[in-house]
Amino acid sequence: MRKQKAITAPPKGRKGRIRRDLRKNWVVYLMALPVVAYFIIFHYIPMGGIVMAFEDYSIKKGIFGSTWVGFYQFQRFFSSVYFWRLMRNTLLISLYGILFSFPLPIIFALLLNEVQNQKFKKFTQTVSYLPYFISVVVVVSILSDFCKSNGALTQLATMFGWSGGALISSPQWFRTLYIGSNIWQHLGYNSIIFISALTTIDPQLYEAAKIDGAGRWKQTWHVTLPGLIPTIVIMLILRLGQTMNVGYEKILLMYSPATYDTADVISTYVYRVGLIDADYSYSTAINLFNSVINIIILVIANEVSKRVSETSLW
Amino acid sequence: MKKLTRKDFLKVSGMGLGAVSLAMLTGCGSSSESSSSSNASESEATTEATSESAGEESTLTGLAALPPSDVYKGEVQQQTFPLVDEKVTLRVWYPYASNIGSFPDLNDGEFWQWYEELTNVHIDFIIPASGSEADSFNLLFASNDMPDIVIQTVGNYGYRNGQDAAIDDGYFADIAQYLDYAPNYVSWLNSDETFARAAYSDTGKLYGLWGVWATDSDTSYANCGMSIREDYLDALGMDVPTTYDEWEEMLIAFRDELGIEIPFYTSKYGIDNGEFMAGYDTAPYFYRRDEVVQYGPLDDSYKEYLELLHNWWEEGLLDKDFSTRSSTGVGGDYDVLLNDQVGSLIDFDTHLGSIYLSRGATNEDFYLIGAPQPKKSADSVDPAWRWTNVGSESMYGITHLVAADSENLEVAIRWLDGFYGDDVCQNANYGLESEEGIVWYADEEDGHRIKSYEFRYNNPDGLDSSVAKVKYYVHNPPVRLEAAECEYLGEASQNADEVWRTYEATNALPQRLTMTAEEGTRYATLYADIETYVQECNVKFIMGQMSLDDYDSYRETLIEMGIEECIELQQAALDRYNAR
Repeated sequence: MRKQKAITAPPKGRKGRIRRDLRKNWVVYLMALPVVAYFIIFHYIPMGGIVMAFEDYSIKKGIFGSTWVGFYQFQRFFSSVYFWRLMRNTLLISLYGILFSFPLPIIFALLLNEVQNQKFKKFTQTVSYLPYFISVVVVVSILSDFCKSNGALTQLATMFGWSGGALISSPQWFRTLYIGSNIWQHLGYNSIIFISALTTIDPQLYEAAKIDGAGRWKQTWHVTLPGLIPTIVIMLILRLGQTMNVGYEKILLMYSPATYDTADVISTYVYRVGLIDADYSYSTAINLFNSVINIIILVIANEVSKRVSETSLW
Repeated sequence: MKKLTRKDFLKVSGMGLGAVSLAMLTGCGSSSESSSSSNASESEATTEATSESAGEESTLTGLAALPPSDVYKGEVQQQTFPLVDEKVTLRVWYPYASNIGSFPDLNDGEFWQWYEELTNVHIDFIIPASGSEADSFNLLFASNDMPDIVIQTVGNYGYRNGQDAAIDDGYFADIAQYLDYAPNYVSWLNSDETFARAAYSDTGKLYGLWGVWATDSDTSYANCGMSIREDYLDALGMDVPTTYDEWEEMLIAFRDELGIEIPFYTSKYGIDNGEFMAGYDTAPYFYRRDEVVQYGPLDDSYKEYLELLHNWWEEGLLDKDFSTRSSTGVGGDYDVLLNDQVGSLIDFDTHLGSIYLSRGATNEDFYLIGAPQPKKSADSVDPAWRWTNVGSESMYGITHLVAADSENLEVAIRWLDGFYGDDVCQNANYGLESEEGIVWYADEEDGHRIKSYEFRYNNPDGLDSSVAKVKYYVHNPPVRLEAAECEYLGEASQNADEVWRTYEATNALPQRLTMTAEEGTRYATLYADIETYVQECNVKFIMGQMSLDDYDSYRETLIEMGIEECIELQQAALDRYNAR
């Protein structure tokens, strides 16, 4: 009966359409199911725990039994001696990170795109993204070794007039080392998406440009870059949405009391307060504050981009 | 040098003494249960009798409630083995990953196999990853799945609201209510008043079964302290330094004449655990002076000490990379230590002499000896602080907790209590009885056990000394016999123990100060930030990133952060402790 109906007259209303789509594309829906379930289970349900930020949470009493303290935990954070330092370090590490490590993969992709020798191109690409697969623990121990008082990098810096001893325990050097090693590790991998975006640009455009007399540089400027802009903008918005999330695992491995001044960020502080000191409410409050700022930055970036370049996430 | 003679700690004092001290403590008491339990075959009846009444006598508080015991310090095993007829499995949270090292499965250890056979209890060891013990411990409370037994290193982590709260909140059993299951432990509490005072909390609870140091002498055990390369001293023709000036002279000679890169190796926090600074009459954190709680960093002498270290840093006498080292206090990084780059450090007695040769030291002459804690001048008073602040409590900072909701609560307590009785204690400390002549040998005079140095450090099977330890006896057994730790060691170690133990830690706070839940929460809220701040500033003052001219404003910041309230909370806890 129903089948017949489906053939003769397309069902009306939204429900009907969904049902038909489900029947037709059930394999696709099935494939999406685990992902949807993942987000619900691991990203939406735990959001209930945010309530802890407004409580004096005790494991014993549980979320429903703990004392409600309103914004006390937030006030505690704002009046903490560490507040400004944490904000400053988080923002600086993140902004310098965007400033230096965001454009480099794009430039790298453009350069690779100009390479004619396919073998060399593949080789370079492979070599450049291999560091991505090295564990951060290993990267940091290599870095620490190089930056000890008699390490290679420290000696290099000393040759150029540095006199402060081991780089790894100098607060002035922390950001440079952190971002520098990040670039080394992620440059190749992050360029993959741009390289693949480059392949989608219509070759006819290049031919047309050539006929018009454009050289290599003009082609890049007028054909390649405009073709990349949507990808760049989307990546940049996504990156901005992560502004306040600094990779705390790496910082935890790299920092020491000597470099807390520039290295201690909100996420490492949350780790110490939450997992070491078991002050769950306080750490939840700090992290919530962190996330709210992230969302605000994300929305603003998206809005600006929508107006300026007509590319946006939503 | 006086050789540490160990006359079997269990026999050194007769039962009569034990009986007297228990009579003094408990007044009277000869319930049918306790008097019958002096030999193992009789105590079977005891087991049945006690298991019925246990847990109901919840009115017990304080020392007066201790059931009597006519056994002195567990010299007779009072548990009846096997503990159960049908095999039971207990889960034990065992935070000694770094000590187990490369030994794959603890259940292959000789002692553990023997004890499993004896008790009919199988153990599932839950071993948190090395370095993440604190996180894992906190997660135990959130998991709703508390292991039957949790071994806690009290100084390093704890339940946020305090030890009493962990019992009140229903995580751990209050052992005071189950003492009938723990006759051996009771005999320890009865035989040593200071130990009992430390074991009970202010509200009369027993937070697990506490680790005990069993010593023969009047002074408490010291197994770590200042250590210097004797071969370097000999090369320079210098004596072991005793004052800070002599130390400086020696370190400069190390630097200039021997070209040592790290004349003095410190922890990654720059300061030690107090043994080196004690000569300045201060301490790294809270301490007491005439029962008044003090906080080291607020002292002028603490500032002076930092000045000394800062000067040494500028002079190149300290480790240039100390702040990024892995060491948190005792022992050094092997890569520098084994390659002749370190002149002096703080180390364990077991590392002294030429032990490091077996660990790969390149210099055949490598010889490390213990040194006294320095003083400001020869006639200054002796420092009153050391690393192992055992004090007179004969308690060490590890407690053995039993989950309140454990299905096998009685078995778990009995299993732990077994360690406090003679035979198990001996086997755990020295190796199994059947291993005589291999793992240990009998003393020629009185037949007491002495560990074999050769077996541990030149193992015939080629085992690494740490693996040999885990395989044949127990790391940190509930009762640690001092003699088992020192007597078999080489001359350098024994000499060092003699030197180090002269500094009685009278300034140290008792380990077992307890705070109420509210106090504990408030203290944790304030002190967590202060502690980080102090650690950070210590390093900066030493490295010159912060000027010592700013010390006053640093102290003001500490006061703003609430250090005075922390001191008050500690003081209140100390007062209650003294009134126990």
